[in-house]
Parts: sequence; structure tokens; C-alpha cells
Amino acid sequence: MNSFPPAVIETTGLTKVYPGGVTALSGLTVSFSPGVTGLIGANGAGKSTLIKTLLGLLSPTSGRALVLGHDCVTEGEQIRQLVGYMPEHDCLPADVSATEFVTHMGRMSGIPATAAKERAAEALRHVGLHEERYRQIGTYSTGMKQRVKLAQALAGDPRLLFLDEPTNGLDPAGRVAMLELIERIGHEFGISIVVASHLLSEIERVCDHLVAIEGGRLLRADSISSFTGVSQVLLIEVEDGIDALLADLTRRGLAPRPGAQRTQVLVPLGGDDTFDAVRDSVAGLRLPLSRLEQRRHQVEELFRDDVEETASVG
Amino acid sequence: MSVSTESVIHDLGYKRYDGPRLGRAAIVRALAWHSFRSAFGFGRSFKAKIVPFLILIVLCLPAIVNAVAVSQGQPRILHYDTYQPGLRAFAMLVFVAIQAPELVSRDLRSRVLPLYFSRPLRPVDYPLAKYIAFTGALLVMMWVPLIALYLGTVASVHGGSQVWHETQALFPGLLIGIMWAVVLAAVSLFLASLSGRRAFATGAVAIFLLLTWILANIIVTAETRPVPMKCGPSGCVPVGPSQPIPIGAKIGGLFSPFTLMDGVRRWLGGLTPDVVPKPGSFGVVYAIVLLALVAGCLFGLVARYRKAALQ
Repeated sequence: MNSFPPAVIETTGLTKVYPGGVTALSGLTVSFSPGVTGLIGANGAGKSTLIKTLLGLLSPTSGRALVLGHDCVTEGEQIRQLVGYMPEHDCLPADVSATEFVTHMGRMSGIPATAAKERAAEALRHVGLHEERYRQIGTYSTGMKQRVKLAQALAGDPRLLFLDEPTNGLDPAGRVAMLELIERIGHEFGISIVVASHLLSEIERVCDHLVAIEGGRLLRADSISSFTGVSQVLLIEVEDGIDALLADLTRRGLAPRPGAQRTQVLVPLGGDDTFDAVRDSVAGLRLPLSRLEQRRHQVEELFRDDVEETASVG
Repeated sequence: MSVSTESVIHDLGYKRYDGPRLGRAAIVRALAWHSFRSAFGFGRSFKAKIVPFLILIVLCLPAIVNAVAVSQGQPRILHYDTYQPGLRAFAMLVFVAIQAPELVSRDLRSRVLPLYFSRPLRPVDYPLAKYIAFTGALLVMMWVPLIALYLGTVASVHGGSQVWHETQALFPGLLIGIMWAVVLAAVSLFLASLSGRRAFATGAVAIFLLLTWILANIIVTAETRPVPMKCGPSGCVPVGPSQPIPIGAKIGGLFSPFTLMDGVRRWLGGLTPDVVPKPGSFGVVYAIVLLALVAGCLFGLVARYRKAALQ
């Protein structure tokens, strides 16, 4: 996939076999476009290994990777100067204030002392911790700690951010706030972002692109619009007469298929015509309609189909 | 109050940083300075400053007593090369046991290392910066009392030649201070880096240094035959023909970093007697073992962080 504008990350046949014989990445060839990219995979799919390899911390067994035009094996330092990283796990000292911590981390990115202080204040303001920045991190809530982790990644003014499970451990409101922040950083600040997550439904709405990996292999990489274009479906639930409905919808030129439950039918959503056809069909058959809903989780189902196919092939 | 912490985002736009970016060497320097300060509790709460400064004050007490004594016309009461040997060894032991974990165990405990390693630093840079910082901090602990001893003495002596004499005597002491700083920083940082639990790290450093010190002292004392001494107003001198020092006493000194350093001091020409007998040509062994100890600890420290970088 040669995307345009140039990719921020390009890997070619990237393979990582750990000394114990565990294959974490297996011939991964993929490119990440600028913008916000969701890196989707179950736990153990190779997301963290991929991020560590791209940061130049792990050397690949074979294959190569370019991050912002730098080779991850030979130019790890240049990459790490341009990239911010927010790990999945806790990584904050409890007995330091957020300002001091983010300032120090900015200095560790190569920002001179005075500028690092300014940038720390900026970064904490952007993540919404301006008022509390002199408090010790140990007194923060989980949501605030996640924001500090994000702020330290922003302190070095990165061109690219790696966020590993940024919504981990957050309550629903915290998740929404974190996702808004990611969207803002990606689209308003002009910083490309790779968001690693095992929950596609959660991050799909802030992503421009999706890269799905499974067992260290690429499942699928594409723009989110190309997914949602085909994935918009209408779920129809009737209490009775499901077979008649399926036949009638097919006759009307739609492509219905049975849903997860015996009372459900899924119809690919074309436009208003689809709604009209469904309405006419249900009314014509005099069926008791109990639910009509536009589905948003279809992308996940597409991936799940792919996983099954890959599993049966491999 | 905590309710207001959610989602307060002021829309002031994002500013790019277009100033200079420092290279690896400057980042290591910044980390070393940060760690040096934290060895004395700077940049931390008031509580963190109590222990290091208390120990520094205790270490300076003999120099203050000396200043008073010298001002009353007495000769200098302490030697620059050994200072007050028992007090110094014990105070330094407590200092490294408490402050080495401050430099390395905290970062392990809070799992902040991946944040360092995702920056331009290389895995070897982190332990290097910590080692430079702690060596510097220990140098302060060693030199400040010596310089206090020197200033307190010089203030009361008369004539340039006496000042010059004092200055000449001070220099070997400063060199011994460097040796102590280099050795104790390597040993204590390596031991502290083995555990992220601060209490365990402190225990490991304290127990290792204390037990080896006691062991070495027992062996040396048990093996040394008492030398008849004749004591006068100017100190004690051995009486009769000088006896060969038993090999057991020489070997005993190899068991502890403190006695190793003392053996090397004697071998290099340090005059003031302490626990370890003058090793003579056996001093080479002391020097080799001491260098091996430092090299081994530094190697272990670097290996520890090479491993940590991959986790």
C-alpha cells in the first residue's frame, strides 16, 4: 500500500523471534499514513513488540522498518528524538509533582532546561491538568495519571506519538475525555499518532486508519472510511416471520443476511432507499417490528471474519 | 475539588518547539545533575534532605573539634588520609545504604525506565549518569569534612611554610576521597539496582558492607600478633625488631571494600596505621581485587539496565 502523502512508518518483512523461540512479529509489511492510526490486535498479537522495534529498542530478527524516514536499527536515537511514547503500564513516580516530572522528561528528550519548563506547562495545559500541576502525582486519579503519561510524551514536541492502550483502566467518562484528547492532538496539533488497542470499537471513532495484526502478522490495513463505507448496516429485529422478511428484502434488491440471533436480519445500508425498502417490506408483511438500528460495531466483525479466515488458512 | 480536574482544556493551540535540541551527551549530563541533586534530597521534599545533611554534619564534627583544638594551640588531631576512620566508614555506609536506592530503586519501583529508554538515551547512558552522579555526591561527603579540617587548621597556623605543609598533607587525603567515592558508588549502586523495593535495596547495601567489614576486621585482628609499642607524647612506636605481618592478616583485608581501600591506601604510601597492616608487596593484590570489584559492579550495573531496556 503506497499511500500518499508519504508514510510515517513503513515496515518490510519485519520479523522478531525472541530468544525463547516465541515469534512476536512474522513478516509484517505495512505502512502507516499520517494522522491517527489504530493498531488493533488482541493481547499478545505483537503490538508492544512492534512499538519497541519501531523505537529502536528491540532489533528485528529480519526485515526492516523506517520511522519518519529513519531506519529503526541504525538510527534509533534520531527516531526517539522525534517520537513520544506512552506505555501501557504505570510509569509515574508518586512523590514528584506533575510539573517537575514532565519537565525532567522533557529534558531527557533533549530540550534545554528553561524551554523544558515552558513545554511542561504547555503539555499539562493541553491535557487539562493546568490547575493541579504542582500536586504530587501520587494524589492523582487514574484518569489524571493517564494524562500525565500523555503529557510527558508531548513534552519533547514529537512528530509521532505511540500510545499503548491509552484508555486502560479509565471509567467511561475518562475514556471519552482521553479519546477526545487523542483526536485533538492528532487532528489539531498535527502530530501523527499510533494508538495501540485491543478494543476496536473504542478507538475506531478517532482513527483515520486502521492496522490490524494477529499473531505478529498483518490482518488488514486501510483507511477507516473504506471500512465504514461497507460496514454501515441496519439491524432489523422482528418477533416473527423472519424467513418471509429475508425473502421479501432479497426481492426488493437488498442483500439481507441473518443476524446473530434468530429474530435479527442485517442489511447493508446504502442510503435512504434502504430505510424505505425496509419500512415497506415490514409494513407489507405486517410483521411485529421490535428494533431498527444502525450498527457501529461492524468493523470489528469484519476483522473477526478475517481472523477466522486467516486461522483456517494458516 | 477533584471534580474540576476532568476535561479542563483551554483552547490556546499547540506550539511547536523550534529551539535547539541537545544531544545524548547533554542529556546524560542533565540526568547526572538531576541525580546528583536527588542524592542530597534537592528537588524533593524537606524530609528527603534530613538524612544526607545529618550525615554530612556528623562527618564534619571531628573537623570542628579539631578547629577548636588547633585554635587553642594544640597540634592537628586528625590525619587527612584516614580522617576519623571508624566514624567515616560508618557514616559513608549509612549514606550509601540510604541514598543509593534513592537514585536507582525509585525509578525501578515506579517503572519509569521505559520512559527514559524511549528517549535518545542508550541503555548504558542511564547507569553511567547515575554512577557519575553518585560518585560526585560521595566525593562531596568525603571532601567537605577534609576541607573543613584543612581550613580549621590553616586558620590557626602561622607562616606560609606551615600553610604549605598543611596543603601538601591535604592532597593525599583528597585522592583517598576519590578512591572511596569511586568504589562505594559502584558497589552500592549495583546492589541497590537489584531491587525496586527501597527497603530491600537499603538492606542489601547495608548488610553487604557491614558484614564484609566485620568479617575482614575479625580476620585481620585474629591474625595479627600484637606488636609491643612504646608510647610517648608524640604517639606510639613499635619496640624491638619489626615482625613480619602474617599472611592471614593480609588476606583478611581483602574481604571488605573498606579494608581493601585501606590496604591500597597503605600500599600507596599512606602513613597513618589503621586496622589493615601495611601490606608491602602484597598491596598489588589489594589494588587488583579492588579494581576487579569496581569493574564487576559496574559491569553488573550496566547489564542490569541492558536487561531492563528490553522489558
